[in-house]
Amino acid sequence: MEEFVYDSKYLRRDDFEEGRVLFETWDPNAQYAWDAGVAIGRYLQELKAGRLVGRSCSACNRILIPPRMFCESCFRPTDRWIPLEDTGTVLTFSRCYVTWNMVQLEKPEIPAVIEIDGASRGMGIMHMLGEVDPDTLEIGTRVQAVWKPPEERTGSITDIAYFRPLEPLEEE
Amino acid sequence: MSLLHRIQHAGDALSRKGDMPTEGRYTAGIAGEKFFRAIKDEGQFLATVCLDCDVTYMPPRLYCEECFAHLEEWVEVGSDGHVHTFTVVHHDLDEQELPEPRILAFITLDDTDGGLVHYLDEIDPEEVYLGMPVEPVLKEQEDREGSIMDIEYFRPVGGA
Repeated sequence: MEEFVYDSKYLRRDDFEEGRVLFETWDPNAQYAWDAGVAIGRYLQELKAGRLVGRSCSACNRILIPPRMFCESCFRPTDRWIPLEDTGTVLTFSRCYVTWNMVQLEKPEIPAVIEIDGASRGMGIMHMLGEVDPDTLEIGTRVQAVWKPPEERTGSITDIAYFRPLEPLEEE
Repeated sequence: MSLLHRIQHAGDALSRKGDMPTEGRYTAGIAGEKFFRAIKDEGQFLATVCLDCDVTYMPPRLYCEECFAHLEEWVEVGSDGHVHTFTVVHHDLDEQELPEPRILAFITLDDTDGGLVHYLDEIDPEEVYLGMPVEPVLKEQEDREGSIMDIEYFRPVGGA
């Protein structure tokens, strides 16, 4: 009976497209809503207002960004909201020559982890760097957020357009 | 704000909404493929038989559910059957009201130990009864696609 379709153990794309196998299709109406939760919800609302905030844990004396309502180090609820600066330090960065959907880029994007001023050491957020020459960029570069105009902000991490160096880069 | 903080209104919850575009493809498997191709090409109903257990499977199975033997005995069976149970459907799978209610039935096929779930038509729901003899109405051969919908519906034997 295998002669109809199954000359091998697996069905291939061609088997469907060329009608060698009978099949039914359906399109599930699949939608999702991802709830940002208490901590990230407030974080995103503050981004819309042009501010960065963290949460403090009084047991380990850390200030966490992105904020969370639970300290993963002490296993206890965090305590207070802490306003932070929109400046920071590049902890690590990369050059990225493809977009998320695999389109090649001539000019690389530069994603980086930025330690935010006012948060604990090593506490950083991931974002893009701009107005920067990747050849001279160094770990430790001081950067500042470039905010979108208030009317374009939506309560998203992309309300910050990118981070740019605080001091102009030295020419080589 | 603490962990006991409660959102008072659903609209206050910050959420990301999106679609998951997906398409499902269902293949009928080796036995199902043979079953549907026989309906499409010949207008015939095929079943598998386990001679040891004396069971005729409709729709055909590749393995006997009682002794787990691989079934290689295929037989053509008649398409007449009887209403085993039925219900009247008013809404589709997306909960939209149907233009006309439809009768959905489990129909046992007389030559087999199984049956098919399908529509009943050419009869009012009030007149359907359990045990009512029915027969299938097939699409014209050129319109058949190798699907369960190659059977348009079952109707009372001899038509309305």
